[in-house]
Amino acid sequence: MVLSHSPVDPGAAPGDATGPSLRRLALDVASRIAQPTAADRDHNSRWDAHILAELTRALPTAALTGPLVPTVLGGGGLSATETLALLEGLGQGARDPGLALALGVHAVLATAPLRAFGSPRQRERYLPRMADGTWMGAVSLSQTQGTAVVQTVRVRPETAGPGGWVLTGEIDLVAAAPVAHHYLVIAEHTDGARTAFLLDRSTPGLLINAAGPAALRTCPWGRLTLDNCLLPADAVLGTVGGAVDEVEPLLAALDWVFTSAPWLGVMRALTHDAGEAAHQQRLFGQPRIHSQTTRFVLADMATQCELASGLLYRAAAEFDAGGRPSRQNAAAARLFTAAAVRVCVDSAARLSGVLALNSDDLIARAHRDALFFTESGGGPEVQRSVIAAAALGLG
Amino acid sequence: MNRSEHRADTALDFSGIASRAGETDATGHIPAQNWQDLRDSGYLRLFHSPEIGGTGADGLTQADAMEALARACPGTYWSATVSALLCAKLISTYGAPRTHERLLQSLLSGEQLAAFAVVERTAGSDASTFRTTVRPAGSRGSGFVINGEKAKITNAPCADLAVTLARRDKSPDDDGPDWCLAFVDLRQAGVRRYEIPHMGLRGMPWGGIVFTDAYVDEADVIPVPFTELAEGMAWGWIKNAFAAIAVAESALAASIRHAKERVSFGRPLAHMEGVQAQIADSRAQIDAARLLARRAMKERVAGESVRDLIAMLKVSSTEMGVQVAARAVQIHGAAGVTRGHEVERLYRDAQMNVIGGFTSNRLREQVSEGLGHGPAVYRPFDWLAPTGLGRDAAGLDGHPILNAPAS
Repeated sequence: MVLSHSPVDPGAAPGDATGPSLRRLALDVASRIAQPTAADRDHNSRWDAHILAELTRALPTAALTGPLVPTVLGGGGLSATETLALLEGLGQGARDPGLALALGVHAVLATAPLRAFGSPRQRERYLPRMADGTWMGAVSLSQTQGTAVVQTVRVRPETAGPGGWVLTGEIDLVAAAPVAHHYLVIAEHTDGARTAFLLDRSTPGLLINAAGPAALRTCPWGRLTLDNCLLPADAVLGTVGGAVDEVEPLLAALDWVFTSAPWLGVMRALTHDAGEAAHQQRLFGQPRIHSQTTRFVLADMATQCELASGLLYRAAAEFDAGGRPSRQNAAAARLFTAAAVRVCVDSAARLSGVLALNSDDLIARAHRDALFFTESGGGPEVQRSVIAAAALGLG
Repeated sequence: MNRSEHRADTALDFSGIASRAGETDATGHIPAQNWQDLRDSGYLRLFHSPEIGGTGADGLTQADAMEALARACPGTYWSATVSALLCAKLISTYGAPRTHERLLQSLLSGEQLAAFAVVERTAGSDASTFRTTVRPAGSRGSGFVINGEKAKITNAPCADLAVTLARRDKSPDDDGPDWCLAFVDLRQAGVRRYEIPHMGLRGMPWGGIVFTDAYVDEADVIPVPFTELAEGMAWGWIKNAFAAIAVAESALAASIRHAKERVSFGRPLAHMEGVQAQIADSRAQIDAARLLARRAMKERVAGESVRDLIAMLKVSSTEMGVQVAARAVQIHGAAGVTRGHEVERLYRDAQMNVIGGFTSNRLREQVSEGLGHGPAVYRPFDWLAPTGLGRDAAGLDGHPILNAPAS
């Protein structure tokens, strides 16, 4: 998939073009609009549509809700690299991984497959409304690794009536489900082939329950129950039975790269917070920042940020450079970033000590949410298999 | 872009050097043909502008070439790169273009070899312990002499020239820097060299230099503020980083070959999930280090200091190299610890990248300072006893002596 026709050197510094300014802008806007209420929204598991509206207004047109949608369809027309920078800034400024996940799922995971494989009619119907934030799209994080984890939705052709497809099953971990207008769903045929569908919220037989993990509580989670949902033929995204080569590998790469982007920002926020705490606290009668152990930990946190940044921006740039982005590089970006996040949250918790809860609670929230982040996207077992298979020439 | 793509049009051919890497390690000597191959390849001129005899390669081309040579033979890479990159950069940065053109020409042509003589026997990173001193030889205009001993120096046993960090024996009215770089001709009386046996990079000449009233021309003594030196030394940190990345890549390549060939429990090792996990972790970590190294190289060649970024790179990439080499040994089993095996050599080579040119912890201090946390604060270890934690606890019946019954 090509998201832009401007080749970018993947070895270049992150965000050579407008990336840094977008990151900075998103950071400033999110810290002003979303950060002040992050801890409270997290405590109450609350999604606030007003915050989304304010963020959308404060950023360039459709940059937040439709960065990857072409401008002719009302989108922001950003490159993948710029989108990554925006999500990084959002994560750092909002200090709210749940909010950033919901927005990333809508703006990237639900949008990019439509752009890549949507029919002209589908693109014209969905993308402008998604880009301006009128319609939210949602995707289950259990459907972003092909069938590596489990496939729970079945599809059969509708033969008695006007034709189309009948979908049955349940899907968990649908980010943004309660507030979404439509869902990208992959279903399995009786012969094992799989097809991607666009499932509108109003589809008869579709039940949406607000339910989700204990982590990322500001993301509106949901479970979909599909009870013989009848979909028209033009609800198919891509080709019938073609998800294994079309939407599934794309969703995997998008998840590994773009849902990691806000965490890069969170890592930077944690590194900042840990440094601040080390200046304020005292240990053995001295400012804690004099402790060599403390200084080493802070240096390593900052280093982890730069290392993860390189992998993420390389993977994003591959979406801009033409050809098919490397699954190995996308998986490596996620594998490394997830490990780096764990290093940073553990280090921040150590340096901030038992009084860490006095701040906006980011360390405690991130500590909890990082566990989910590490195990999502297939977790290390799936990512390592993808990387090793490519390195070893195995399938 | 993957590695094979970015190297295809820029990689220099070091296949001959690679074919002699095992021999170089085993004999502890870089073959003369390696030096001829280096001269022929243009590697020695890559890092410098055409004005001083270089070819003015861009940052990523330099990065490709450094990694390619380090892949071929880490020992040869260290020796050549200390001279052509690090020492030549110090001379071109702090020297005078016309006066030192001759020195630069000799290093870039490969006619001569240079050593960067910083460390002394007393300490590595702590310059306060350094004693080597340059003082006037006699009356004004009669040059200088240098006295002292430098130790653990790459190329020391065979170099023609030493870019030497030394104290200045200043006159009372001299308010210039306390330190200088002295470009010392090592082919003279008053210079004694010795070799130091070392664990890895055995082909790389390594040892000490003893200066006893060795002569230094007045123009070859450059007063330099000590804080400036870290800027120049950052080129050395980049050198170590690419060596570490190359050693890790070689170790991973060997691991992949072995995993595909070695059959265990009825299937190739490559099908073992545990081996796959090690290979995947190594792949991701090497890629992360390489991307940071290329970013640092590109920015530095473009004129940015990025010293703290390079410090992060040096720490993380060299420690990564050790980790990946250790994984390779484990994947290879007994073969990996057998003398003469490539992985055994790489495992030894990886360590020097961590130690040479400021150790990790010294650089972590610098990174922390660069993050705005102030300079390092050292004090004697005197903080435990006042807390009450310097004593063992009393037993459940109190202190045994205090509570002992009177006799």
